[in-house]
Amino acid sequence: MAIAEVKRLAQALSKEYNSPNADLAKCGQYLSQLKIALIELSYLTHENKHDNIEELTLARDVLEIGAQWSIRTKDIPSFERYMAQLQTYYNDHSNLPASPLKYNLIGLNLLCLLSQNRISDFHTALETIDPEQLHNNPAIQHSIKLEQSLMEGSYNRVWSSRSDVPSKEYLFFIDILMDTIRNEIASCSEKAYTSLPLKDAGTLLFFTNMEDILNFAKERKWKVNPGEQKAYFHSDSDEKINIPADQIIKQTMFYARDMDRIV
Amino acid sequence: MSEAPRRSTRLNKNQEDDSKAKAKPADQDVEMEDTAAKAETTPENKVLGVKELEALAIADIKQHFVLFTKSAKTHEARFAIRALRSVSSLRKRLTSAVLARTITSSYGKDDESRSRLLGYLGSEALGSITPEDETVASKVETPEVDVYLHLLVMIFLLDQGQLEKGIELSNVTVKMVQDLNRRSLDQLAAKVYFYYARFYELSERLAEIRPTLLNAQRTATLRRDDDTQSTLINLLLRNYFHYNLYDQADKLVSKTTFPENATNNQLARYMYYLGRIKAIQLEYTESHQSLLQAVRKAPQNNVTAGFQQEANKLLIIVQLLMGEIPERSLFRQPVLRKALVPYFQITQAVRVGDLNKFQETLAAHAATFNADKNYTLILRLRHNVIKTGIRMISLSYSRISLRDVCLKLHLDSEEDAEYIVAKSIRDGVIDATIDHEKGYMRSKENVDIYSTNEPQHAFHQRIGFCLKLHNDSVKAMRFPLKAVNQDAAEVEAARDQERTLVQEIAEADEDMDEDHGDL
Repeated sequence: MAIAEVKRLAQALSKEYNSPNADLAKCGQYLSQLKIALIELSYLTHENKHDNIEELTLARDVLEIGAQWSIRTKDIPSFERYMAQLQTYYNDHSNLPASPLKYNLIGLNLLCLLSQNRISDFHTALETIDPEQLHNNPAIQHSIKLEQSLMEGSYNRVWSSRSDVPSKEYLFFIDILMDTIRNEIASCSEKAYTSLPLKDAGTLLFFTNMEDILNFAKERKWKVNPGEQKAYFHSDSDEKINIPADQIIKQTMFYARDMDRIV
Repeated sequence: MSEAPRRSTRLNKNQEDDSKAKAKPADQDVEMEDTAAKAETTPENKVLGVKELEALAIADIKQHFVLFTKSAKTHEARFAIRALRSVSSLRKRLTSAVLARTITSSYGKDDESRSRLLGYLGSEALGSITPEDETVASKVETPEVDVYLHLLVMIFLLDQGQLEKGIELSNVTVKMVQDLNRRSLDQLAAKVYFYYARFYELSERLAEIRPTLLNAQRTATLRRDDDTQSTLINLLLRNYFHYNLYDQADKLVSKTTFPENATNNQLARYMYYLGRIKAIQLEYTESHQSLLQAVRKAPQNNVTAGFQQEANKLLIIVQLLMGEIPERSLFRQPVLRKALVPYFQITQAVRVGDLNKFQETLAAHAATFNADKNYTLILRLRHNVIKTGIRMISLSYSRISLRDVCLKLHLDSEEDAEYIVAKSIRDGVIDATIDHEKGYMRSKENVDIYSTNEPQHAFHQRIGFCLKLHNDSVKAMRFPLKAVNQDAAEVEAARDQERTLVQEIAEADEDMDEDHGDL
């Protein structure tokens, strides 16, 4: 397929994708067609990478749309694949014209890692970002702030970060993140409180109606006292401390053997 | 592109450190060159000193030739290693005249290498060739000597800062080493790759040589060529780090095994790189171990100051991230004191759990931290500061309202404080409960530690350590063979040899890290 043909397809894709009520299935078709077409260009082979700036830019733009499209179709593995391919274009082809979407997508990728609790990948990805952008780019800062609040435990701030997302694609991941956080808060509360009024538990967990709270309480196996409207957490104080006989015997035998060896 | 500014700051730092580390030898070079230049103009009988020095250097090089030839013939690596060890002391005495004379006397007149090497030395050097050099000219016997001469010229060009020429020559030499494909070249090859990468690094073209290095690394691994392998792994890691490609670096580490017989210097570097990768991946315990090893394995002298500083900076941060406070004496060491000032202030902020002070220090030294590539790591400390703060509060108050916690820690709101306290309780930072209705936090009474299994655990750890130490020492003991039959004279001779060897090693250690002093 000639480059003109691919270009035509790419334009059709971006037109379809950017239209207000985009047909996502159709975009998907375009994308798979384009990927086949790009293989014939220099999309996968990087031997003489400095030559085809036009082709490479085209490939990058297609991949960027692909990444965004995967989020709209809520397909995380596909998003990760697109991001992995884009990394090469962002890091190794410094001669390409800069993409306006670059940092937005990198920010999304960070959030994606965060929502899956892959903190070490998150930090590794963070290191590859230019320090200047790291401090000033709103898309990147958003993810960094989020991670900080998560580590500290300021879940309130995570919740409020919903309102100031850099672009609407972020909401998808933040919603996933909220579920994770809710479980975090619940496990913290179990340890920190002996009992908690249901209404307050609701505010802590960002629930608005009582039914959700009760369902959630059931899921976490909290004892709910309907009369007092309070949830009780099982305390761990009545746990007995057993003497770890097995372990101690093993250790003592180990000492005896080694002492024997020395003497 | 956007990477440019960072790269340039890194470069500046590199050069700074480099010049610091090399200040001494470089000065000497300049001095000697001045005198060498004078030597050509003044009558010969007055400057016997310079001539003698030259002659000595040439004699040394010739001596190395013999060693290399011997090593190639007997298939014994130790002769080559011995020659390479003294390269560092020779390096200070290298001048264009010495090199030119050695080259002319070592190659035949029409040899290709001769004209090439002389070409790199410049016209000034040609003037110093004396007729007797030409007459004694004999054919180079082995390729080892050929490669060694190339290496010497490379080192000379590096000291002179002639990067363009250096890149050209190193390309030729690397090609030569790969084409020759001789096991006796292993030790030389490691050195050649080292300077090859160094030239590219100083010219900001590191990304280009990655495929070459990877290829060479594969070959070296297949041949179990420990020296080249360890050098190349470190070069590749350094290469990835230069562009912050920690992901790739991590994959390289997980796919390769670092040779056990590598020299201490290479091992120290490798441990430092490993520590950094692990720190970024939040595996602080492993990172801490690697960094400790790096610091201990590195030669403790002024030449390696750059490396020591970098490794210690990282070590301090990792210790803080683990919740430990580095020892005060570390910051007082003369080599480290100045470089560690910003890190000292950060440590103080973390120790007292003062969030405001932490932010101030961070802002004040942001540029330093960025240059050290430690900024993101330090950002992570923020939540350690909060944790320390909460622990202090929990220890000092048996009951405190969440509002006061919020004020003391400078948090945004009471709700935030509640979440944070709850999380610290879950993470085991403090032992307390929160009363939500009345809005306070109550610390639990201290439990008697001796009623738990904790002492048993600590006891086991210590005994285990002692036993391991004993077993390791037993394994490490060596007994001389046939020691009884040896003559007293032989023993004396062996001792003498050992003494010179030890001295050479010490000298080599001092110089090994000059080039990577900054790491």
